[in-house]
Amino acid sequence: MFAAIKRIIKHGFKNFKRQAPLHFATIFILIIALSLLTSIFLFRSTINYLVSEIQKKIDVSVYFKQNTPATEIEKIKEDIGELDDIEEVEYISAQRALEDFKEKHKDEPLILQSVDVLGENPFFPSLNIRAKKPNQYAAVLAYFDGSDFQDIIYEVDYIKKKTIIDRLFSMTSNLSLAGIILSIFLGAVAVLVAFNTIRITIKDSGEEISIMKLVGASSWFVQGPFIVQGILCGLLAALATFFLFYLTVYFSAPKILSITGGFNIFAWFGRNIFNLFLLQFGGGLILSVFSGMIATRKYL
Amino acid sequence: MMISYQNISKIYLNDIAALKDINFDIEKNEFVTIAGKSGAGKTTLIKLLLREEEPTSGKIFFEGNNVGLITKSKLPSYRQRIGVVFQDYKLLFTKTVFENVAFAMEATGASDAEIKRDVIKVLEIVGLDERINNFPKELSGGEKQRVAIARALIIRPDVIVADEPTGNLDPYHSEDIIELLCKINALGTNIILATHDRSIINKLKKRVIVLEKGQLIRDDKSGNVIF
Repeated sequence: MFAAIKRIIKHGFKNFKRQAPLHFATIFILIIALSLLTSIFLFRSTINYLVSEIQKKIDVSVYFKQNTPATEIEKIKEDIGELDDIEEVEYISAQRALEDFKEKHKDEPLILQSVDVLGENPFFPSLNIRAKKPNQYAAVLAYFDGSDFQDIIYEVDYIKKKTIIDRLFSMTSNLSLAGIILSIFLGAVAVLVAFNTIRITIKDSGEEISIMKLVGASSWFVQGPFIVQGILCGLLAALATFFLFYLTVYFSAPKILSITGGFNIFAWFGRNIFNLFLLQFGGGLILSVFSGMIATRKYL
Repeated sequence: MMISYQNISKIYLNDIAALKDINFDIEKNEFVTIAGKSGAGKTTLIKLLLREEEPTSGKIFFEGNNVGLITKSKLPSYRQRIGVVFQDYKLLFTKTVFENVAFAMEATGASDAEIKRDVIKVLEIVGLDERINNFPKELSGGEKQRVAIARALIIRPDVIVADEPTGNLDPYHSEDIIELLCKINALGTNIILATHDRSIINKLKKRVIVLEKGQLIRDDKSGNVIF
């Protein structure tokens, strides 16, 4: 048994060396397939980052009447903060709203003068509420709909923002769905291309397999070296893809950072290095070994 | 009795009858020539013996065992008892002469030392001991056929089946191959030779079974044949 395994491994390595051009072609196709799979992984992470960034920009502001005590607003803030769907609640006092406004328009004296002319703070204290998902803002609105708060609430700007929120929600959902569909499609393309390339490569060996069977070799003794060759192709393709992506991500990180407004792809690569390694090596091995096994079975 | 064909018929899907009700026996150590024109059914007869194909009806017995009942897992060890030589050599083109011959032994599980010793000895017998590291593409037709015979011989089979082994060779090399087969037979191995070459049959003077359009039309122990 041990001698047979040793021979299978030896034949696998020997065939790999002797049919090097054929195997390099297979490795090249596998690199393309694995690059496609890795790109899907990267693409989906970038999309998820962009979606979460867009979602972060969505919020609902609840404006309170000017005489509402700060303690009461703080109490409401605490109560809302305990809701499951809420990501973040920020209290902005009337004074802070005024300061923020002045800071924002510090280079526009006319606007600052017009505020001074009023003689009093025209801003209302407010709570800026950010839900975990855009579709959870309806629940926030329902919370303030209760009669308890009607006396102190000046305005909830949800209705004003509703159209934008709905659009963004629809856009982010569509973007995620498009990502999933594209991933499935490209993933299937990658698998089919790799499988067919290996199948065609083995088709050339179909006659050799028949000869080996005729001289009395068992199926696994015939199939074994093809599996070894598959493992070698898969490993080399995965290794090449890994370094290819390492370099690509390293050099493209600054550009992607500026395009996405903060997505550091190189840091992401570092955080997900184990998953990527597993995806590429696992993908390479599964694609090459299983394609090889299925293709050789036909001739056994 | 070594091999027995009993009421063997083989009909392919498009109703072409390759063999029709074939009956004959082959005794131990016999040299039998299966003669007939192309398409007479010689190769089908061999394919059925090797269980490459199944007969439509009838049975083949090898040393009393029904070949049709051999399980898939037992098929390799059955085939190791039959050495095969083909007209187109059927060598493994990615392996050297040594490796081609050694492969048949490796499949039987022989040790590396046995393989080295026996392969060199057999290659000496067929006169290829100086070509052990050459690949099949570097050999002449006659040399390729001798590699095929060495591969068939190395596993010490009970029977060597040669399907048109001289079909691609010139008369000089053909004679060489037939002489080799006769020597192997003299050492105690059954030989089944399929050929359409009358000159070879006439020279051999051994038992001839003649096939025509899938039917056995003559079984002549003296080796005289007309077809």
